[in-house]
Amino acid sequence: MKFLIDDVTVYFPYDYIYPEQYEYMVELKRALDARGHCLLEMPTGTGKTVALLSLISSYALARPSPPLKLLYCTRTVHEMEKTLAELRLLHSHLPPTHRSLALGLSSRKNLCVNPIALSSASRDSVDSACRRLTASWVRAAAAEQPPGAVPTCPFFEAYDRAASSGPDAVLLPPGVYTLGDLRALGREKGWCPYFLARQMIRYANVVVYSYQYLLDPKVAGIISREMQRECVVVFDEAHNIDNVCIEALSVSVRRQTLDGATRNLHRMAQEIDRFKATDASRLRAEYNRLVEGLAQRGNLALTDAWLANPALPDDILKEAVPGNIRRAEHFLSVLRRLVQYLKGRLQTENVETERPVDFVASVSSQAGIDQKMLRFCYDRLHSLMLTLEITDTDEFLHIQTICDFATLVGTYMQGFSIIIEPFDERMPHIPDPVLQLSCHDASLAIKPVFDRFQSVIITSGTLSPIDLYPRLLNFNPVISRSFTMSLTRDCICPMVLTRGSDQLPVSTKFDMRSDPGVVRNYGRLLLEMVAAVPDGIVCFFVSYSYMDGIVNSWNEMGILQDVMQHKLVFIETQDVVETTLALDNYRRACDCGRGAVFFSVARGKVAEGIDFDRHYGRLVIMFGVPFQYTLSRILIARLEYLRNTFQIKEGDFLTFDALRQAAQCVGRVIRSKADYGMMIFADKRYSRHDKRSKLPGWILSHLRDAHLNLSTDMALHIAREFLRRMAQPYDKAGTGGRKTLLSQEDLEKMGEGVMDMF
Amino acid sequence: MMSSKQNEQLVPEKPAATVHGEQLSTTEMELRMKLLREDSELQKLHKQFVIGGVLTESEFWATRKSLLDDDAQRTAKQRAGFKSAMLADVRPSTDGRTNKVTFSLTPEIIHQIFAEKPAVHRAFLNFVPSKMTEKDFWTKYCRAEYLHRTKNSVAAAAEAAEDEELAVFLKHDEILANEARHKIRRVDPTLDMEADIGDDYIHLPDHGILRDGSKETADAENEFARRTLSQDLNRHAAVVLEGRALDVELGDTRTAAEALARSKQAELSTEISDEKTNQERMEKVSRMTEIEDLQAPCSLPFAPLCIKDPREYFDSQQANAFKALGDTGGGITPVDCSLKTEEAYIYLLEQISEVKVRGLNKPVVQPEAALKVLNGLNPYLSSTKYHLGKNPQECVLDRLPNRTKDELMHHWTSIQELLRHFWSSYPVTTAYLYNKVLRLKDAMAQIYHKLQEIKESVQSDFRHQVSLLVQPMLQALDAAFAHYDTEQQKRSVKSGNKPNGFVQ
Repeated sequence: MKFLIDDVTVYFPYDYIYPEQYEYMVELKRALDARGHCLLEMPTGTGKTVALLSLISSYALARPSPPLKLLYCTRTVHEMEKTLAELRLLHSHLPPTHRSLALGLSSRKNLCVNPIALSSASRDSVDSACRRLTASWVRAAAAEQPPGAVPTCPFFEAYDRAASSGPDAVLLPPGVYTLGDLRALGREKGWCPYFLARQMIRYANVVVYSYQYLLDPKVAGIISREMQRECVVVFDEAHNIDNVCIEALSVSVRRQTLDGATRNLHRMAQEIDRFKATDASRLRAEYNRLVEGLAQRGNLALTDAWLANPALPDDILKEAVPGNIRRAEHFLSVLRRLVQYLKGRLQTENVETERPVDFVASVSSQAGIDQKMLRFCYDRLHSLMLTLEITDTDEFLHIQTICDFATLVGTYMQGFSIIIEPFDERMPHIPDPVLQLSCHDASLAIKPVFDRFQSVIITSGTLSPIDLYPRLLNFNPVISRSFTMSLTRDCICPMVLTRGSDQLPVSTKFDMRSDPGVVRNYGRLLLEMVAAVPDGIVCFFVSYSYMDGIVNSWNEMGILQDVMQHKLVFIETQDVVETTLALDNYRRACDCGRGAVFFSVARGKVAEGIDFDRHYGRLVIMFGVPFQYTLSRILIARLEYLRNTFQIKEGDFLTFDALRQAAQCVGRVIRSKADYGMMIFADKRYSRHDKRSKLPGWILSHLRDAHLNLSTDMALHIAREFLRRMAQPYDKAGTGGRKTLLSQEDLEKMGEGVMDMF
Repeated sequence: MMSSKQNEQLVPEKPAATVHGEQLSTTEMELRMKLLREDSELQKLHKQFVIGGVLTESEFWATRKSLLDDDAQRTAKQRAGFKSAMLADVRPSTDGRTNKVTFSLTPEIIHQIFAEKPAVHRAFLNFVPSKMTEKDFWTKYCRAEYLHRTKNSVAAAAEAAEDEELAVFLKHDEILANEARHKIRRVDPTLDMEADIGDDYIHLPDHGILRDGSKETADAENEFARRTLSQDLNRHAAVVLEGRALDVELGDTRTAAEALARSKQAELSTEISDEKTNQERMEKVSRMTEIEDLQAPCSLPFAPLCIKDPREYFDSQQANAFKALGDTGGGITPVDCSLKTEEAYIYLLEQISEVKVRGLNKPVVQPEAALKVLNGLNPYLSSTKYHLGKNPQECVLDRLPNRTKDELMHHWTSIQELLRHFWSSYPVTTAYLYNKVLRLKDAMAQIYHKLQEIKESVQSDFRHQVSLLVQPMLQALDAAFAHYDTEQQKRSVKSGNKPNGFVQ
């Protein structure tokens, strides 16, 4: 369908549209007009992604100059695939004259088609296998030697030959390219899909990639450097964006890292000696370059690009490298001293928390390394490794981590802290010392994004309370709105279960969680529901260890065996491959009608981005409140920072964080208004107002007062009633004045109505 | 005309194919024969009507087009799946007096163990009977299981070091790991979490926050304790979903193991091509992204369930449902109220003689007792109305003598078949249809009479129930006859004096 919002013709790939999608587009258009940032909360299951894509694409078509580019950030690769699939659907509805280029970008591991590089199992080795075949000096050597003597990558060579005659030669025809499409195209043409995609993002109208490509300065410095201001940046499913920002600027150093770094330094010293003997001019050339103040060597070949500086672009010093680390040997000895110092710090018996200022002062006094030298560590190392022509970069990850740490600690004095822990608090018997530089200020990493691009859109199904995000991320949205859901029928049924069938309270509170009564009551709840609810059921637990414990107890009590009489059981494990296969099987079990239960963990990989819509999830049970582990030092430090800087109380933040995770877990049952699902919050603490009120509005509005304090049998009764009601046929378009599905005609009528009003 | 003699000699023989000049291909014929063979009810109907001359072959199949189509697609035979229960998780039993622990294995369990634990399967093929006897093999297996179960990882490690065959059972299963690597490539891309690992530009270890309380560090355990319950559960569910791949009798372990190995080989060789899987993946993705109610509905492909005896199946399903409802449904427990006539007579006689001797008491019956009986009877009576025929344990039909029951069922299906043909023939436009209706009407009239006969001939105890059962059948037939008559009248009025036959 096709309709007008103000003066923009919007192409929408379906025959009908939800009213909230329309409203969402109207708000979005206003933000684009104002060239400002916006924050939009819209319930899951109302087609947020397609509304976003269709409005922004249509807007770009309506305002062709300057060309507007869409950078769409997803958290995971599978979300990227989904987004690209929606884009493809949209593209088939755009007028054929306006076809644009859209593609997804991922790492080498997901794009490489070279069988040699692919055969290496882990992902770091795909990267370094690629580098071994494509580094500029390897290719130079290959050009000199007879063909075949030095192996190179045929895909990259073919691509490079094609691209050398100008970018038009490799420009992809308009269309939507998923990762799979890029791979297929690469195989067909014999071109390297990875470098093709890297090249194409400059010309593409829509780029879909991961958060890191914009938020992590190390990555953004290479990939997103060339993006112009005329970009609309979308962060989808952005409820955890503050955590991503914080992670991007945090580093941890463990004993293994230091040992590895020592080995790396040893090898680099050998290399330097070798070069001194054979090719001393190279080292001298590097020295001269550094004197001139060029830490980075001008234009690097595409394949040589390394991780950029971990500090944010505005904070990187544009000065010459300090004199005392210009010579390779001197720099190595500085690094040796740093590693030695860090080793000494790790031998502590107690937990130590320090501000970066104090840390830098103590490095300076004890190891003789001043702040400026620390700041240049990363660039200096980069330069040295290029000079030494080191291709097996995954061997040198440890020393990179150390330099990364040094640069960050030398750059930022505020918003960070250094925490040294001799062991994990939950396992005090296993010594595992770690030194963590943790960032507390989420606004640091995202600031360049807000500054650089004209519109940044942050959207998710759970952004409640919506006024907290602008504070955490330190920006001023021109639009900040939370949408509700117009429903034809009550197709979601949230419930708070506080008691088991024996009327005793259930909770995962620390003092109650291992109580066999609670474990049994939780088990009975699952058992009753498994017998009553068709198709798929998803259960979320507060942590892996809790899930392991409770599943084992259920197994011993025989509850698990009873559950298996009704449905197959699948479990998320910490092994990603196994979890993926389990999910795939879970879907198949739901498809074929056998029915299945999936046990998963809040804050786990599955909760982060897997949909349990339609028959894949008719019921979600959230066992407990997913609070963070509150004794964690990093959390304590972060809470303190939040209190001092933003005046956010500890309790408020913890509850906010736990409830957004819970809402995120249960919110994935609904995909559309034709879908339906139940949500059970099984913990007595959910019935308290201060907890409950933090849930997003669209869940709260369906949470009736009568459903706030249920026991297992009452919940079962409600579930039966609900399922019976949902099985009845209903009028999809909504009745009377409350339309829940709009056709093109309705929209045109609405447009006229607005005209009349003015 | 149907004559029973004619029926008897006919097995589902070649359907008289060329009745209406319709030439059938041999495959078509085979398909029809196969259908008749598999469905005894269909076969009976076919015998009765087609061979009996009421319907022609093509008429009979015309109403079952979907059956023919479906079956054309369905090539594989439906196989019974695995049970959901975890059989391979053998629980040891102790007798309580000695330290002896007993495991019991059945062929079914062994088969599941083979399917779920390829390492055990391979070990069995390798070791038995060349290296050890089957009994030794299973003893060893149970020993390993016991060690695993008691979480005695130290003892497990010690034993494994001594006994390399035992170690096979305890170690991490690398065949499974290989299979997983193989399968992960075919997984739906919208849930491929494996692609996410390190999807930033260059992955550095130790980046991000290591211990912030939301993440958990995996504790490194030794090789023998790594097998967890979750893995077993996932593996079990996957095997159940894959279903039983072989049809071998589960008697001999060796043959079962070999058959499983063969079927796995076959699976590998018939691996579908990369392109096709890609196509499937794409379809899956697009299905996952569509918003269903914003566009016209599309139907998902499904595998039809083939049920041998629908009546029995649905009765048992209903029984389960009632059982599940249990307390809430207010199920009634049947009270045995049947008395023999002599007993009743004797009892009455006693009562009367008692009254004669003592005279009538003041209150003839205790009011409380009377109320109790009345209350007890009332719900029973009202509930029987609803539960009549719903309770499979005492179905109305089951109380009837077997012969009557069979006859009734048979007539019921025949009537359904005939009525379907009858109503689909209207409006009568050709002479052919006219003749068909005439034939059908005659056949229905015969059944009508038979039903009447059954009703009258049945024993007096069951007469009421039988008449209740027969009533709707008769009504349906009556409606058909009435329709026929009115149509006939209309026609005779229209076409004036054309008494016999219909000319267009």
